[in-house]
Amino acid sequence: MSQGERSVTLSVNGAPRTVSVTPSTTLLEMVRTKLELTGSKECCSEGECGACTVILDGEPVNSCLVLALEADGSSVTTIEGAGSGGMTRLQQSFLDAGAVQCGFCIPGMVMAATALLERVPRPTAGEVREGLSGNLCRCGGYARICEAVLEAAGTGGADV
Amino acid sequence: MSTFDYRRPQSLGEMTELLGRDDAVVLAGGTDLLVGIRRHKVRPALVVDVKSVAEIGNQIDAEKRRLRIGGRVVMSQLTGNEHVDSHFPALGVAASVVGSVQIRNRATLAGNLCNASPAADTAPALLAYAATVTTSGPDGSRTLPVKEFFVGPGSTVLRHGEIVTEVELPIPTEKVGSGFARVTRRKGVDLASVSLVCALESSGRARFGFGAVGPTPLAAETTLDELADDDGWDRLLSITSPISDVRAGADYRRAMLEVHSRRALRAAHDQLEAAR
Amino acid sequence: MSEPGMGNSVRRVGGPDRVTGAQRFTADVAVEDVLHVALVPLDCGRAKIEAIDTSAAVEIEGVIRIFTADDFPRPMPRFGPRFVDRPVIASGEAKYHGDPVAAVVGINKEAAIEGASAVRVEYQELPGVYTIDDALDRGAPLVVDPELRPSDDPLRSTNIRQKWEWGWGDVDSVAADLVVDETYEFPMVTHFSIEPHAFMAMPDDGGVAVWSSIQHPYLLQSTLSELLELPKSKVRVHAPDPGGGFGGKGFPKYEPLVASMALELGRPVRLVLTLEETFQAVRRSNARIRLRTGFARDGQLLYIDAVDDFLMGAYADIAPRVISKSTYFLAGPYKVAAARAVARALMSHTTPSTAFRGFGAPQVAWALESQMDAAARALDIDPVDIRLRNLAAPGEDIVPGDRPADGDWRQSLHIAAERVGWGEPLPPGRGRGIAVGIKASATAGASYCILRILHDGSVSLIAGTSDMGQGARTILTQLVSEHLGVPMERVSLVMGDTAVVPFDYSTSASRSTVFMGNAVVDACRRAIADLVERTARHHGVPIEDVFFTPGQVSVTKTAYTLPQALGVLFGNVPGEIIATGSERGEGSVDHPLGGAASFYEFSCTASEVEVDLETGDYELVKHITVADVGRAINPQHVEMQDEGAAVMGLGHTLMEHLILDDHGRIRNLGALDYRIPTFKDLPASMASVLVENGDGPGPGGAKGSGEGGLLATSPAIAAAITQATGVVIRDLPLTPERVWKAMHGGNDGVRDEETTEGKNSEGD
Repeated sequence: MSQGERSVTLSVNGAPRTVSVTPSTTLLEMVRTKLELTGSKECCSEGECGACTVILDGEPVNSCLVLALEADGSSVTTIEGAGSGGMTRLQQSFLDAGAVQCGFCIPGMVMAATALLERVPRPTAGEVREGLSGNLCRCGGYARICEAVLEAAGTGGADV
Repeated sequence: MSTFDYRRPQSLGEMTELLGRDDAVVLAGGTDLLVGIRRHKVRPALVVDVKSVAEIGNQIDAEKRRLRIGGRVVMSQLTGNEHVDSHFPALGVAASVVGSVQIRNRATLAGNLCNASPAADTAPALLAYAATVTTSGPDGSRTLPVKEFFVGPGSTVLRHGEIVTEVELPIPTEKVGSGFARVTRRKGVDLASVSLVCALESSGRARFGFGAVGPTPLAAETTLDELADDDGWDRLLSITSPISDVRAGADYRRAMLEVHSRRALRAAHDQLEAAR
Repeated sequence: MSEPGMGNSVRRVGGPDRVTGAQRFTADVAVEDVLHVALVPLDCGRAKIEAIDTSAAVEIEGVIRIFTADDFPRPMPRFGPRFVDRPVIASGEAKYHGDPVAAVVGINKEAAIEGASAVRVEYQELPGVYTIDDALDRGAPLVVDPELRPSDDPLRSTNIRQKWEWGWGDVDSVAADLVVDETYEFPMVTHFSIEPHAFMAMPDDGGVAVWSSIQHPYLLQSTLSELLELPKSKVRVHAPDPGGGFGGKGFPKYEPLVASMALELGRPVRLVLTLEETFQAVRRSNARIRLRTGFARDGQLLYIDAVDDFLMGAYADIAPRVISKSTYFLAGPYKVAAARAVARALMSHTTPSTAFRGFGAPQVAWALESQMDAAARALDIDPVDIRLRNLAAPGEDIVPGDRPADGDWRQSLHIAAERVGWGEPLPPGRGRGIAVGIKASATAGASYCILRILHDGSVSLIAGTSDMGQGARTILTQLVSEHLGVPMERVSLVMGDTAVVPFDYSTSASRSTVFMGNAVVDACRRAIADLVERTARHHGVPIEDVFFTPGQVSVTKTAYTLPQALGVLFGNVPGEIIATGSERGEGSVDHPLGGAASFYEFSCTASEVEVDLETGDYELVKHITVADVGRAINPQHVEMQDEGAAVMGLGHTLMEHLILDDHGRIRNLGALDYRIPTFKDLPASMASVLVENGDGPGPGGAKGSGEGGLLATSPAIAAAITQATGVVIRDLPLTPERVWKAMHGGNDGVRDEETTEGKNSEGD
């Protein structure tokens, strides 16, 4: 452990991990650089774009706004843990709906959508848009992303 | 981010002691603090995490004639809460438009007040519903109306070492109609250029809370009769002083303030009528 | 097994990696012991650098080294695709808000950032040029030292970096029943790719290896080769798929700096920009366009007289090309007998403007289409009809002597009008608008590829197109699969490494389907020819007796699958079939733009809005885009791109603009105050329609696509707002506040009755 580093223990994608971090290290930075899980992305670093979305203790959060030390004793799921080996129905729906362009926003979208479907298993298009409103896509794939989520939920036939 | 120390006290006593140190700040949801640190607006030496302090609650409790919202309650808890929805619907709406789902899962109501942005999303509702804030610090505990809590942009009456432990709202004995309005630059997640809440009692007394149109969120009170006067609206809105900034121009804010205040009052009135 | 055929919406190649988070973008590439860079900008627009004090910064734990202009040769090495004007790092003067004056290298990101905030710069703010008016002011300071411009450049003592005069016919001699004379403004907007630019470099094999989120790896290779004085074979550029580019990652920015530092330190060095730094690094040229257009009473466009002022940033980047190319097509998709444009590329002390989806065409369309609507209102002609009247038909000139109209553009207009319900009654507060836009594709360029049919019949395609979301991997794989009859899953694509992949000019101008697509088809044909010839020789039969159909080789009466045929051919000694393919557009030195466009991308947008007349807020009820694509090799991909472009167009139309203060500083730096469209900003109903007439130069008659959807967004929505409110607005974005102000007599727009007047005119 380097000077100033502290130890944090948490469950990451179902596995217990103990990591040394400085207090100012965010959960996003820890996941990307210490655990080499580069699926969660860094874009705005201020909680405005959602590219860093992970599920923390069952809730979707912007991991750039959580200090790693805050997550001590918590459970975190990143995109790498979204499906347990193989793709989830949601991920397949993203592909089928043509919702993936450059792909940079997609991990955040999948995590936010995964969390939404846990909370609201059969959302309306409006609920999908609201639930993902914290995730930006500059390629403009919103309509198809919404379609993908509805399709995975079985409420497909989007009105978007 | 610049380096700081991090502590997570288990008790209010420990919290107060840590907060009493130089350059110590409270970390609740982190959605304002971490942004402030990144932008070098805040340079704490110590970040004190409130989330394990037992005496600061994370529940919403209705008891007697008060709704008590613990200092650790996050925005997503307020939305859809039956007590909030039945008595203080504008607060539920306000909480639901703070940022995104991700933000609302972390941002606390107490933190929104303490950050004291003139555009604080929940402030207009808390003002219109005559909420109070309870704090705890080295000199003990005190309770004051939210109206008296704000001092200036980013500034509250909190003293060094003092922390908000609870927000309370008096549950009205009669039906109150509520109206809510928020002007933003886009339909998606956005900060408010103007926000307001109107709470109308059947007696005709109307309490308003205004955001983003003054150095702090503002409260004003009037009656339907007063508003019927020629200059009733002007008098009501005279406490506001909208400015031009990156989000909106002053003229526009002033105009939207009146348009939306009238609409909010009408909505509150319609609600009351429907409840009869 | 997926159906590869052209016209099938096969699943994206590279899709699974993207949905599982396995896709490695440049910032994800793991390199041992890489050092991190943080940049030091000034809190100022233009400033003279007086002293840089790094003494406190170097003491910070983890800071390795701090680079400033003093660490580079004198004169400072410069680069740039049009003018060689950009320094590797700011030297003597910071020329725009964000221009880095120092670069701190640290053992990790935290140390580098801390080091950067400890660097003390003494500077003096200088008067700067920040607006078009500033740039045109004869008394303004000069952004470019006249000494650095050719001595025979008549504009060297102005901030006009380049000027063009386009036109044909005699505008001044045409009499018109109606003259419309208006000026339009298009704001500064930034690309805001969700992946911030990322760069990494390390010494490699006596040269340098560089990773960059760059769209044009070979241009970068050339630039670095020259700057670092290394042969190209010693400059290896790795180009992981960019996380969105839109033109903002086309040209070198900080690679020369990062590469120089890596070579100096002898270690890998990485720089990943913050989102704010990307706003300071790239933007679209803002513009003021004054149009005088003459019309006959029946709506025929008689002449266009344009003055186009585009504001570039402190370094020209590729902006001069953006300006010349877009303003050259001053008549858009219309036929007009007389036209004149004076276009000026102006310098300023702001973020360097660069290529951005549409390449100047959205700015031109904003003005031209708004003007058509103004004429339609003045002449009481339906906006669809006035366009039908003037659109060039296939084969008709839009610029005399140049490539004529290459699509049935009226068809797109009819489709859009029909889909939006044009002509149906509208309740109060609602309005509809329709507009068209055109963008010329690449005028010259070259694409090469290598195709290897391996021993077992699987295929490796080595092609340098960058896949930044538009689906290049997929369609190139589809082409191979279709032509060779090899299942998509057995085709691998190698991209993004200049050491291995042959030259591709660029991924831009919607050119890749045509250029690289044709190169791939060329390679397939050559591979087949080679296979046939070798097979004939091996079997001792004449070549006429060997037939190839996709997936199958017949030798006289015997049919082999492709893998079987290869197994026979290479029975004794293993081997493979290797072929190269290319497509070159040599352009023409006589042509003002270096060559005629290989095709035009044409798009029509129709929109319906509902306006809250008290607040200026409005809903997008319907939004239709129609794209004339020739042939959609992968319809789903094309639709995705077109929808995406439409959404991006909503950005600059509804909400995006960079706001500068008097000191040239960007006030809305970052995602909090620079708004781009979100899920909740989508129109209630949105559709993208593809028109496929097989009339393009690419495989199967394909044209390129991906830029069309945002060309005409602004004028369509503005016209819809005008119909709903009666106000005309000539500046963007059309925020609720701007609409409200226009309705309340603000000077952003005027009530319709006050605009154009019918004039009988002789010239002016």
